[in-house]
Amino acid sequence: MGRTLVSALLVLSLSTSLSQAQSTWTGGDDLPTSPLACDGTPAEAAAQPYDGGEPKNAPDRKGKEITVVDVPKLVGIGYFNATSKGIAEAAEAIGNMDAKTDGPSRANIDDQITLIDNYITSGVDGILFAANDPVAISPVLKKALDQGILVVGYDANSQPDARQWFVNQAEFNGIAKTMIDSMAAEIGEDGSFAIVTSTFSTPNQARWIAEMEAYQAKCHPNMEWLETVEAQEDNILSFNQANTLINKYGDDLDGIFGMTSVATPAAADAVTQAGECGNVAVVGLATPNAMKPYVAAECVKSVVLWNPVDLGYAAAHVLRAAADGDLKPGDTSVEAGRLGELQVINGSEILLGAPFVFTKDNIGNFDF
Amino acid sequence: MMSEAVAQPARRLRRQNFAQRLFAEYGQELVVLAAIAVLFVVVTLVNPRFVNPNNLVTIFSGNAYIAVAAIGMAMVIMTGNIDVSVGALIGVLATIAGTLAVSGYPIWVALVAPMFVGMAINAVIGVLVAYARIPAIVVTLGALSILRGGLISVTGGTWITDLPPDFLIAQKRFLSVPVPLLFMIVLTVLAFLWMRYTAFGRSIYAIGGNREAAVATGIPVERRLVTVFAIHGAFAGIAAILFATQLQVIQSTVPPNLELTIITATVIGGVSILGGSGTVIGSTLATILFATIGSALIFVNVSAYWLRAVIGLLILATVLADMWRRHGRNGAAA
Repeated sequence: MGRTLVSALLVLSLSTSLSQAQSTWTGGDDLPTSPLACDGTPAEAAAQPYDGGEPKNAPDRKGKEITVVDVPKLVGIGYFNATSKGIAEAAEAIGNMDAKTDGPSRANIDDQITLIDNYITSGVDGILFAANDPVAISPVLKKALDQGILVVGYDANSQPDARQWFVNQAEFNGIAKTMIDSMAAEIGEDGSFAIVTSTFSTPNQARWIAEMEAYQAKCHPNMEWLETVEAQEDNILSFNQANTLINKYGDDLDGIFGMTSVATPAAADAVTQAGECGNVAVVGLATPNAMKPYVAAECVKSVVLWNPVDLGYAAAHVLRAAADGDLKPGDTSVEAGRLGELQVINGSEILLGAPFVFTKDNIGNFDF
Repeated sequence: MMSEAVAQPARRLRRQNFAQRLFAEYGQELVVLAAIAVLFVVVTLVNPRFVNPNNLVTIFSGNAYIAVAAIGMAMVIMTGNIDVSVGALIGVLATIAGTLAVSGYPIWVALVAPMFVGMAINAVIGVLVAYARIPAIVVTLGALSILRGGLISVTGGTWITDLPPDFLIAQKRFLSVPVPLLFMIVLTVLAFLWMRYTAFGRSIYAIGGNREAAVATGIPVERRLVTVFAIHGAFAGIAAILFATQLQVIQSTVPPNLELTIITATVIGGVSILGGSGTVIGSTLATILFATIGSALIFVNVSAYWLRAVIGLLILATVLADMWRRHGRNGAAA
């Protein structure tokens, strides 16, 4: 009887499932979306009051030599090697700025706080940081501001009033635009695609998908959105799910989006092993190292993320501009060397710009 | 009293026909098999592409590494123990295999090393469980933290890429059968026969069924337990190879809750969580059932939330059925 129960439950749950079969889940959240203009015109920055902090009794540093320490989440990994490379590049270009990177050897907030505290004591003009914890790092950063030290964050924020500016690597609508545009370029305006994400409740992925939905409806209305499947942060499950999508849709499937750095390479592997390279495009968020084999084999053409070298480069420029008084609360943009004019958003954040697309031509330059 | 309880069902069995005996002995396995069959029929009616050959390969070999790990897990659970560290162990062993493969060691070394390292690590766990008498859940929870922490600090979160093509055996086919599928079938059948027809195999059931009785009949329980854990480690090593060679890159993390998936498969496959009964055929069928449900949900356009709900219901139903069967047996004996 127990066994009958099991079978009964299975059949029951399946039939309930079938009755729901009509409603396709996109995997996006219900929050309001703000799709960017199709031609890439920057969104009108909503006037938001400055909510960052200010260094107390800061000396006049305009045009003077300053020493800056960069404290990333941790050192020794490709990603933060790239950001410190960008910072060093900017310091050299700027001239009157001496920057060095010194971070914890593991991504530990206590180690990071100790390190920053030591630099406050030893006396620096500026601190660049990527926080291991947005709340826990804030007191030590406020202490730095209190002593007149310039504080600028990048990659991972603190509380806004614990630093002056934060360089934001990418906004949800920016990532969404680049993802959809890249896919449209590969599979055409009437192509159809499916998505492999982590879970429908993962905040970042749900936000990206909701923005992608809005942008696709606005700028590529004829593309067909087939379905979104979950694959946790599980590479074999991602692989299986991508395979199942290929098996289910056959020639009706033109492209797969990978929404995580786990799902994207797994989807690329599924397409490769199914012999569908060239027939099914893969576009996704991923780190370049994991994607190199697929990009080299020309199975994947566009890997979307941001360029960490540019991120560090921009952060250093922002700090110099703040030191020179060229970037003050209320300003709407800042000059950042070869990156040109960067926009101020959300009160006290600097937007790095459009996301970066790694392709066969440039992916070899990155190691993270 | 004891002898009566054992003798009673045996007498009853003699009066039953073949079908009844089959069901009495392999009830849960048959239920899982039936569930797979029902799903196949229903989903194929909705979308005939469900049974296209490529999708059959995805379903039957997609979870093969879980099935292989579940064989070892089934043995451990049958002895009345449990191992919650196997997911982290598979991650560590996959990283070892990948590291050996890219540092220029012969491919065969990279492929067999995980088995031996897995055996060694789990033998230590077995010793702590069998001789130090620490409950398996405690020992393996500790092992879970150690292995997971070790994995993260050694790899630093980086992925292993540039794997040599010959290393990627899970992508290959042997006589047109995908290698993971082959491993799953051969290992399941061998383990099943070994457990059913050898003295060692049968002693696994004896230890889990009634440890004191097993000791009384002269089974070296402690030694057997260590061996069973070591064998489980070897299966984890093979599972790690299938896991590591399915894609061209090896992640430094393992699928979240992999150990739970493996334990769930064994339990739904009919291995009693209290030890003493079940077969590895059941655990393998259960992993195929999971893959079938996962694929079916996509083919009929249902949110994957259902997968978890369905599996949760299955666990509850299976455990209830197990308890009900035990109750029925005891009732008959009284």
